Amino acid sequence: MSDALSQPTGSNDSSHSDEREASCHDTPLLQLVGVTKRFGGLAAVNDLSFSLQKGEILGVIGPNGAGKSTMVNLIGGSMAPTSGAIFYQGHDINRLPPNRRAHLGIVRTFQITQPFMGLDVRENVMVGAFFGQRGLDRARALHVADEVLERVNLAHKATFKGDQITIADRKRLEMARALATNPQLLLLDEVMAGLTATEVAQAVELIQQINETGVTVLVIEHIVRAIATVSNRILVLHHGRKIAEDKPSQVLSDPRVIEAYLGERYAKRRIQEENGVSSITLEDLPQNEEDR
Amino acid sequence: MSSGTKTQTPSAIESHPPEPKESREWLWSLILGLVILGLVATVPVLGDASALHTWTLIIMFVVLAQSWNFIGGFTGYSAFGNVVFFGIGAYTTGLMLLGNQPFWLGLVAGALVAALFAFLLGLPVLRLRGHYFAIATLGIAEAMREFVTVRDVGGGGGGLMSLPLPSLASYVGFFYAFLGLSLLCLLITVFLTRSRFGYALIAIRESEQAAEALGVPTYWYKVGAFVLSAVPTALAGGLYAYWATGFDPDTVFNVSVSVEMVLLTVLGGPGTIVGPILGAIAFEYASFQLQTSGFSLHNTLLGLSIVIVTIFLPQGILRLIREFVRKPAPGTPRANRLVEGVRRVRRFIAANGV
Repeated sequence: MSDALSQPTGSNDSSHSDEREASCHDTPLLQLVGVTKRFGGLAAVNDLSFSLQKGEILGVIGPNGAGKSTMVNLIGGSMAPTSGAIFYQGHDINRLPPNRRAHLGIVRTFQITQPFMGLDVRENVMVGAFFGQRGLDRARALHVADEVLERVNLAHKATFKGDQITIADRKRLEMARALATNPQLLLLDEVMAGLTATEVAQAVELIQQINETGVTVLVIEHIVRAIATVSNRILVLHHGRKIAEDKPSQVLSDPRVIEAYLGERYAKRRIQEENGVSSITLEDLPQNEEDR
Repeated sequence: MSSGTKTQTPSAIESHPPEPKESREWLWSLILGLVILGLVATVPVLGDASALHTWTLIIMFVVLAQSWNFIGGFTGYSAFGNVVFFGIGAYTTGLMLLGNQPFWLGLVAGALVAALFAFLLGLPVLRLRGHYFAIATLGIAEAMREFVTVRDVGGGGGGLMSLPLPSLASYVGFFYAFLGLSLLCLLITVFLTRSRFGYALIAIRESEQAAEALGVPTYWYKVGAFVLSAVPTALAGGLYAYWATGFDPDTVFNVSVSVEMVLLTVLGGPGTIVGPILGAIAFEYASFQLQTSGFSLHNTLLGLSIVIVTIFLPQGILRLIREFVRKPAPGTPRANRLVEGVRRVRRFIAANGV
């Protein structure tokens, strides 16, 4: 943990990530072992185990209430698991508060965007730069913020207040703030929900760009098509359990996944029609189930 | 630095709009604050003894509002017991004076004791949020008043009614001491709106969860803000103790002073630079005018103001002014600006109040 903390600030981190990749390519960047989170009698996340290698993009899908956001809360540290353990670079991080995890490089966005209304867009991002990276002075933090805003295509709204921007820009701001912390592992909680098709395409491109700079990404999404194009692997949650984890094409033709998403009757019909050979296309799956 | 972008072709500007400049609002606020304090500084020259007395107290309330602003306005934690730091400052300084210590040492001791008390009190109560935090802090102020009264600290219920008389300082000296303290608070406030520390506090106010997720150690920043708001309050308490040459627990631990700190700040504009100054001067001046004209309406005014502020000005006078002078949409004729401003203010009240 101390190596992540003492990382020189503001420097181009590609050389560091290369080093780390070389030194830890056997230990996964993130590993969940039998993680369960109960709310009273309900297990929102139930005996979940998976691991994430450095440099991957892992997509997580699942119907409403599948436990996706709870999972992000558990990894991000705003909730403690009822049982099970979470390892980051081989270290048990179960007891670390969210801000310490952020210092280690685990940074999340929020599904319900939470801009700091009293600050303008640039200052919002500066909070990420100030607290995610160590020892930045104001000028450096400003520079980082402007750079990040340029990347997420929000530079022209830098002086808008947090409550003066559209939902798409708020999602961008969530990403920008997280990026300004110089993360190792980025947890994106439905950053595409509520966006138009063009904006989704931009977001997909942005996630790929972020990943190319060496950031490992865990992306939670309802928009199956978007997630299928961007992810190396997809993990499907249903009622808090992992029901599938594989390459996008495999996962999306899995009958259990189709059933979970589209209901039993639809799945049966499809399977009858296809005579057991499921070749459901991505377009058949819901584009956007945001309305809640 | 963005001047280079102005020479681009129209199409280039369309795809890459010139980067917006950083807001200079803080600078204008600082200047406005300095002008207000500068005007107040002329009171001893232009006014008589009673004006000096009134304005000394007004500036004291300005300081109280400004320091409450650190925890209540910036951090968004409605502390309803900050008068406890005022009382601690007053008692510490008073007891030091009675022990024949120099006044400045008493002041420093009061500030230190209050800072330590805020730290120790903040550790448990800043784990609470919202109403629970407000109630807990309210309870502390009352408990402290009872404690001082019952345990007979420095004269108990009767208070410290006789201090050694001011030898060096004059009333004018006290006035400028309060004014200097207010200036210090103004500078701290400006620093907060521009610094890492201040950004953290604002982030905590807007979304503690998001702040935490971005790496802000929110708990310690809240404790820091609480201590920061305790210190000037205690200094004001110490100055008050010597200035009034005596006080009793009911005055310096009076919960209504706590409520007043909240009201003055919220009236002016919580989390702003000049809001607390404006709010405190407007309210206290009106209150003193009523008092001297024979009406004893202070508490009525306090109550009425709370009602009016919560209904119409949930974000303070300053926010309304800002809404009024905000740059209109391009193409608005100059003649329509006033109408447009009034309309915007009405819309703002409708959207945020009632």
